Amino acid sequence: MLSRRSLIIHLSTTALVGALATHARSAAAADKTVKVGINLPFTGADAHDAELIKDGALLAIDEANAQGGVAGYKIEVLLLDDGTATAGQYDPAQAATNARKMVADKEVVAAIGPQMSGSGKAMSPILSQGDLATITPSSTNPDITDPKFAGQYRPKGKPIYFRTVTTDAFQGPNMANYYADVLKVKSVYVLDDSGAYGVGIADTFQAQAEKRGIKVLGRDQLNPKETDYATTLTKIKSLNPDALYYGGVAQAGVKVVKQASDILPKMIKGGGDGLYGAEILRGAGFPAAEGWYATIAAPNILENPEAAPVIDRFAKKYGQQPENYSITAYDAALVVLDAIKRVAASGKEVTREAVRDAMQTARVKSIQGEITFDENGDLQNRVISVFRIVKDDKYPPEDVLHQYKYLGVAPQSS
Amino acid sequence: MAGVGVSKAARGYGFSLARPLARVSPRARARLAVFGVTAAALLFPLVNQNDADIDSAANALAFAALALGLNIVVGFAGLLDLGYAAFFAIGAYTYGAASSWQLQPVWGGFWEPFQWLELVTRFHTAGGDVVHFQVSFWLMLPVAAGVAAFFGVLFGAPTLRLKGDYLAIVTLGFGEIVPIVARNIPSVTNGAMGLNGVAAPRFFGFDFGIDATPYYYVGLALVAFLILTSQRLKDSRIGRAWMAIREDEVAAMAMGVDRVRYKLLAFAIGAAFAGATGTFYVAKLQTATPEMFMFPVSVMILVMVVFGGIGSVWGVVVGALLLQILQSWFLEDLSGWLHSLGRLVGVDWLQHVELASSIELIFGLILVLMMLYRRQGLIPATRRTRTLSLDEQTVQPARSGFTDLAATDHVSPLPLLEISALTVRFGGLVALQSVELSVPAHSVVAVIGPNGSGKSTLFNAITGLVPTDQGTIRFAGAEIGRLRPHQVLERGIARTFQNIRLFPNLSVLENIMVGMHARLATGPVGAVLRLSATRGEEAAARERALEILSLFGNRLLPRAEHPAASLSYANRRRTEIARALAAQPKLLMLDEPTAGMNPAETLELADQIKSLNRQGLTILLIEHKLDVVAMLADKVVVLDHGEKIAEGTPAAVRRDEEVIRAYLGRSAVFA
Amino acid sequence: MNRGAPAVSEYGVLLQQVINGLSLGAMYALLALGFTLVYGILELINFAHFNVFMVSSFVGMWALQLLGISGQGQVLTGFALAGALVFAFVATMLAGGVLGVAIERLSLRPLRGVPGTAAMITTIGVSYILFNIILLTVGAGSENYPNPLPVVRWQFGEVTLELKTLLIWGVATVLMIALHLFVNRTRLGKAMRATAQDAEAAQMMGVDVDRVVVTAFFLGSALAGAAALIFGLYYNYTSFIIGYTAGLRAFTAAVLGGIGSVPGAMVGGVLIGLIETLGGQLIAVRWTDVIIFSILILVLVFVPTGLFGRAVPTKS
Repeated sequence: MLSRRSLIIHLSTTALVGALATHARSAAAADKTVKVGINLPFTGADAHDAELIKDGALLAIDEANAQGGVAGYKIEVLLLDDGTATAGQYDPAQAATNARKMVADKEVVAAIGPQMSGSGKAMSPILSQGDLATITPSSTNPDITDPKFAGQYRPKGKPIYFRTVTTDAFQGPNMANYYADVLKVKSVYVLDDSGAYGVGIADTFQAQAEKRGIKVLGRDQLNPKETDYATTLTKIKSLNPDALYYGGVAQAGVKVVKQASDILPKMIKGGGDGLYGAEILRGAGFPAAEGWYATIAAPNILENPEAAPVIDRFAKKYGQQPENYSITAYDAALVVLDAIKRVAASGKEVTREAVRDAMQTARVKSIQGEITFDENGDLQNRVISVFRIVKDDKYPPEDVLHQYKYLGVAPQSS
Repeated sequence: MAGVGVSKAARGYGFSLARPLARVSPRARARLAVFGVTAAALLFPLVNQNDADIDSAANALAFAALALGLNIVVGFAGLLDLGYAAFFAIGAYTYGAASSWQLQPVWGGFWEPFQWLELVTRFHTAGGDVVHFQVSFWLMLPVAAGVAAFFGVLFGAPTLRLKGDYLAIVTLGFGEIVPIVARNIPSVTNGAMGLNGVAAPRFFGFDFGIDATPYYYVGLALVAFLILTSQRLKDSRIGRAWMAIREDEVAAMAMGVDRVRYKLLAFAIGAAFAGATGTFYVAKLQTATPEMFMFPVSVMILVMVVFGGIGSVWGVVVGALLLQILQSWFLEDLSGWLHSLGRLVGVDWLQHVELASSIELIFGLILVLMMLYRRQGLIPATRRTRTLSLDEQTVQPARSGFTDLAATDHVSPLPLLEISALTVRFGGLVALQSVELSVPAHSVVAVIGPNGSGKSTLFNAITGLVPTDQGTIRFAGAEIGRLRPHQVLERGIARTFQNIRLFPNLSVLENIMVGMHARLATGPVGAVLRLSATRGEEAAARERALEILSLFGNRLLPRAEHPAASLSYANRRRTEIARALAAQPKLLMLDEPTAGMNPAETLELADQIKSLNRQGLTILLIEHKLDVVAMLADKVVVLDHGEKIAEGTPAAVRRDEEVIRAYLGRSAVFA
Repeated sequence: MNRGAPAVSEYGVLLQQVINGLSLGAMYALLALGFTLVYGILELINFAHFNVFMVSSFVGMWALQLLGISGQGQVLTGFALAGALVFAFVATMLAGGVLGVAIERLSLRPLRGVPGTAAMITTIGVSYILFNIILLTVGAGSENYPNPLPVVRWQFGEVTLELKTLLIWGVATVLMIALHLFVNRTRLGKAMRATAQDAEAAQMMGVDVDRVVVTAFFLGSALAGAAALIFGLYYNYTSFIIGYTAGLRAFTAAVLGGIGSVPGAMVGGVLIGLIETLGGQLIAVRWTDVIIFSILILVLVFVPTGLFGRAVPTKS
């Protein structure tokens, strides 16, 4: 009995020692490299989108490396997963640990990510303490860069949370303006998917809608794990608003789109950037998806002629179309690369503090236009683009770039 | 024996420490191990300066603390809780509400004393002055533990009497409800978007900030405190009561354990552990979202407990740490190796496999495999015992009676137990019909009758295990018919069961000491603090238990530390009687005590029962062996089909026609 | 533009919600029957049941895809439709049944007789294993369910009735009647009822308890398989997560009806479906889970036998 027991103890000790040993950090390479951390939820419900973001960022980084690096520096990527199987999606605790990992690794000069704002809230104070700037292609919760909360999210003072999307402070309200001004909606019912992003954007939409005189007939919260939304949709049908607004991501969004096409075929239906993506087209399909409005917190890339070659290169390298976030991730990587280049060009050593300062003063020509940041790290260009799903038979039904018809910019609040 | 094992394994690993280690006693070896682990834990952040690793370790400590808490509920008390994360959430949000910017009630005079106590500050906003809560982390640790314990009692009070799997489902329900409520009351919790700006702890002016190291040490202290508390509770009257409930709830009740109170206590203490850990976890993360506390988290903690060893304090700590290490480091590194391997061999899927995302699959496999093949877990809770020597095994029984027993009450002319018109029905079946029974003090009364005549039901009715429909039961002049089983024991009635209900995984000595439960006074606080009064009481109890064991000569004493399940049938019977004696009863009720014993053992036990009676103990006895009845009983009562059909001396009853007819059938009367 | 359409009256929307509730209820009833059959005989809460449901739904999807159907575009009628549906139902029910039997054989039979909650913990483990196997192989996305049913809607005043609703009611009713007949009229069914009441006595009367247990698992899991196909055809959707909520609601239905009772599971299922839709209409959908779990807890605490159950034996 004892020998078996000590066997177990010995095995576990060996495992422990082995893990600790192999976990030792390797020495830095001799020639000039800098590391960029990419932190995304590769595990769980958001894994698909995380892959797309990673692909977009890597496209830019690999292309730069292929041309000999940036100002002689090769870019090495440190991939970190802030999703855990237990959470089934992003996990703020894991994001915090990843932030510490990046801060502890002195070779990391900048980071890309996170994807979800819940991770951003946990990471931001740690990154600020470590003077490490990150740029996110998709986190839209405004609190993280709001100067009101600066004491919590950037205790050291300098902005370190940059974005290549604008925030829900604009995405929700501008769509409310669009509903009021363009679609002439007089009454609306608001739904969210009980997630951090969905609740936030639905709240801001609702507040602005009320300000614009649209009657909000009700607000409810969907459980993304549930399947049957007929109850809520039937209730909405009975209240007969002009329009429906859904704040949330595709896990619940697909079901809303599918079931609303049966129960609310003629209502105006729209949502945020959670509804913009191939998963909606694939999961809901046509005719269900037809007619839904969606927004993205960035300008429309197809307007930019520079976009086409990038889209082609992406398609060639990864075998699929890039989506909204792939492009903003590509742009985020461009900002990082540009910052490193400018620091090196000025003769200074490429440190994370210098890179952060360079990012603050960025003027990068990107696919979504010229990128500049305000004093909080937010995009100065606060464009919310409005799309509508209109079936285009010339293209495959999951082709995001062609099934979403660009309608224009949502009106900014005055 | 032990040394051989270590040397064998050590030789296999080529360690040269084996020989000197083998000479050290097991006790000292355990102390050395604990010292070694503590030293390693304290030195860890100094050796590995990587902040991320320290942060992972701090998270691992938090889960070890949670595993310790669940171990009290599941491991000690045997209550399967599938919604344990609810208490984790309650602790987290309690701290979050008390020290973040979330709640901002309007400032008023009411808040001034709190401001003086530095629990709140007055904050100036554009809309007027508001209250900002900034209760100290150190104060909130016990407060949050208390709040969680309160909810533990709230959830437990209506539900803890449900049986095992139903209770599990109900706790699952609570585990689902709490995060949903947290999500739906954004005014308090900021709902799905998560708390903003939870304050970091401050220690005499030093602000913890972002650096993981101070949190690591706080976590270490928390786990150490919880380990100590768990161990002390386990080795105390409280722990014995919990384990008795876990092993056999009915027997525990009959031995004086108030099962409702103790189940609630286990639930509350387990909840308190989680509440304190929630505070720690959220203080470190500085945010909290409802998704952090959902069902998969409860299952993960359960897996840690099952993996480590249900009921074993160090076992669950090791289980929690191993699984956390698995998740944070080992699987990632293993995936890295597989990627390299894949590149080497050119297999594509190997290069992309991510083992970290299959941790849930691993949890499922652990649960299934552990339950099928090693239910006691990695480090079992029950200790090994050395086998007996040949001499000890083949000891000859010594026929003697008891000579030393605490003297029972003054001689009283009144009947000790008086039952009149007792009727018990189970649905349509009448088990007892208007039974009258009177047991004079210091006598031996035997109850006999064919199978199914209601004898055991009579016992169950007297001890409160079965409700009575009509009639009264008076003991020492007081009505006891409405009392609960543990109260009946407290009044002075102890019993044994027909099919022997010992606590199988507890040692013989522990079984006896459970019998003393009602006569000892240590409560949970006393158990944890282990003051001299408590230690004295424990030592005296142990002495007395050994004394009682010695009443049976050398049959039970050598086996005092052995699990009760490993005893022979006769020894288990004796243990059960010893356990009943430990309760210092005035009336001892024995249900077929000599059943299954050979004639020699029967006579031995009968002698012992007789001497117990001579010492003043009143005995009520169910027996089938009529020679034993003749030898022991002053009075015999005969039951048949729930009714009393005869009463008198053994000789008179044996000749009674009704009795003969009941046992042997009509034709036998004329035989 | 929805403007101009008449608002639905309160009566009309309630009636519509009742119809929705009955459809949901039919599915919950089928799932609840699986729980109840196993519990009645083994007194075991089988956590793996709702992930057997989920896996079967994928099997149904693959079966239909095998026939060349994908998405909702390819509609069949007449014999082709009947043939496709029969094929799909056989496939899913068989898959569910076999999976259930395998689970019993491999992970539960060795634990028969072990006291306490060891068996239930094992079913939690099996549930996790099934869930994660699908998640890791098929992925987290939503699958568009292949559906050969034509979309037919009838309007009765303010209330809409669809063909697929009638399909659910029809199939569920047929299956429940079949189960009822099986349990009450066949020998094996009688053996099941005897074992549920007193396993020892049944064994002494010559009943092969092992066979009865296997039958219970097979039937219960086959019903889950049928429910899974209905689910996919009704919502045009499946994903790795569908077992979770549906399972817990079906379990509440079984408890409400009286766990161990077959008519109880049917009635309980319908009741929970109605509570879900009417609760969502009259209160709010965000509280549905809390309401349902509260019902679960209240029933277990105050009326543990449920509506139809027999007295719960104390298994101390």
